[in-house]
Amino acid sequence: MPMPKQTAEGLRYNKKGKISVCCKDKNMSLVYFFAGTAVCAVLSFAYLDVDWLKLLSRVPSVGEVFFKLAHFDFGMMDLVGEAFMETVSIAVLSTIYSMVLGLFFGMIAAENIFRIHILSVTVKSFFTFLRAVPTPVWVLLMLVCMGFGPSAGIAGLCVHTTAFFTKSFSQSFEDISTETIEALEVTGASKVSVFTNAVLPAAFSQLIAWTGMRFEINFSECAILGMVGAGGIGYVISSNIQGYQYGVAGIAIFLVFVFAFFIERLFVKIKSLIK
Amino acid sequence: MECLLKFDKVVKCYSGDTRALDNVSLEINQGEFVSVIGPSGSGKSTFLRSINKLIPLTEGEIYLDGETISDKKGRALRLCRRKIGIVFQNYNLVYRLSVIQNVLHGRLGYMSGLKGILGRYSEEDKHKAVEILEELGLEDFVYNRASDLSGGQKQRVGIARAIMQNPKLLLCDEPIASLDPSSAKVIMDMLYDMIKRRNIACIVNLHQVDVAKKYSTRIIGLSKGKILFDGTPDELDNATIEKIYGRGLEDLMLGGSEGAR
Repeated sequence: MPMPKQTAEGLRYNKKGKISVCCKDKNMSLVYFFAGTAVCAVLSFAYLDVDWLKLLSRVPSVGEVFFKLAHFDFGMMDLVGEAFMETVSIAVLSTIYSMVLGLFFGMIAAENIFRIHILSVTVKSFFTFLRAVPTPVWVLLMLVCMGFGPSAGIAGLCVHTTAFFTKSFSQSFEDISTETIEALEVTGASKVSVFTNAVLPAAFSQLIAWTGMRFEINFSECAILGMVGAGGIGYVISSNIQGYQYGVAGIAIFLVFVFAFFIERLFVKIKSLIK
Repeated sequence: MECLLKFDKVVKCYSGDTRALDNVSLEINQGEFVSVIGPSGSGKSTFLRSINKLIPLTEGEIYLDGETISDKKGRALRLCRRKIGIVFQNYNLVYRLSVIQNVLHGRLGYMSGLKGILGRYSEEDKHKAVEILEELGLEDFVYNRASDLSGGQKQRVGIARAIMQNPKLLLCDEPIASLDPSSAKVIMDMLYDMIKRRNIACIVNLHQVDVAKKYSTRIIGLSKGKILFDGTPDELDNATIEKIYGRGLEDLMLGGSEGAR
């Protein structure tokens, strides 16, 4: 059916004579974004000089390795189990310590609690700096300070996790409507009271979501950290792959996968209960 | 009668030269029920919010209970603020918390540091909160989550929280603007009764001239930051209403029986 002819003034038509429905001022940022992405892709490609043929010829060996990994070797189960529990403990402790610190720093960093702009900006920039350095680097630094073992892993993870929580928590706090905060301020309540009595309960479900997400990240980070010497399942995985003990490494990787999946489902459930 | 609130040549400028409050001077006594009317942008909200320094003044002084409030900061300001309860148009409750927790928030200004932070309210306060909720007909909703209530019920919780402060002055920023006509009447009646019983002065910003006429002991008409009218509801005639809103009566929807045409 042909379009009814619109004669109303002000309507715009595209080249095919159809009525145009996009905004008057075209937003060009999307176009620039895609153009920028394309340029970056081409430049990176040229710089790295990837040998695609060689890469393709190695694809079958991916299947081969996974096939070997899938042949679980339960011979060293006690060692794997111990390392696994160590990793879980590191993840739990680093998340909990950082959560407490993150609540405190998040409160200071949120613009709407103390309303001291310079303070928020200072705290935020400091933690942005901490976040800019990757976790393995922090763990390596802690290893130098504290020696090998899980405590260095916890300390290193805490640096990054606290920085993460400070940012995410402060954002959740800033999402709380200023009107609600105002309503408590006018009762004469102190700023910290307003924070604990209004902001914290209102942001609660978001805080749980962030914590769950970070716990998951910390757990998988832990698996990597073992490889730099902070103990745990990562060490088992890397040493066994290097020693061609694919069966043992396979079990360890499988455990990591199952646990990560389990945490995710658990926190989805908790979040729906809290709503 | 005792003077409770005094505006002395108050000026508030927002960015540039627009004067939201232009040389406003007035006194409000204990037990008065004052309605503030005026078109949008006339400075009603600025007037109300400047009273407890939610908005800092550009010039002039505001005295509450004989003390200046406009120069106060920190703890001294908090002590002044707890004498003034506010009821908001959008209720502004913490919806995740129970009704009684929201009402008890009114006591936070009276609680010392750690007790307030941890929200450890005294049994006496809890009894008082329940009494106020009973007075407002919310006794069956004490433990309900605030988000589960209807608009009118939420506003009653808002009133309860303000009353819980034991205020000398109650400010209501368009308390019925988000409510349906029947809830609006319930809220205005309850507000009126509670104020009367406790002899609290009350300043209400209203869009509805008929409501203002029905409940107030005094009406203030604002236009462009200036007081155009200040008198009893009987003195507010149609010519004055036209002057306040800058339009003929035929272009105003006044509602109710008095304004209907």
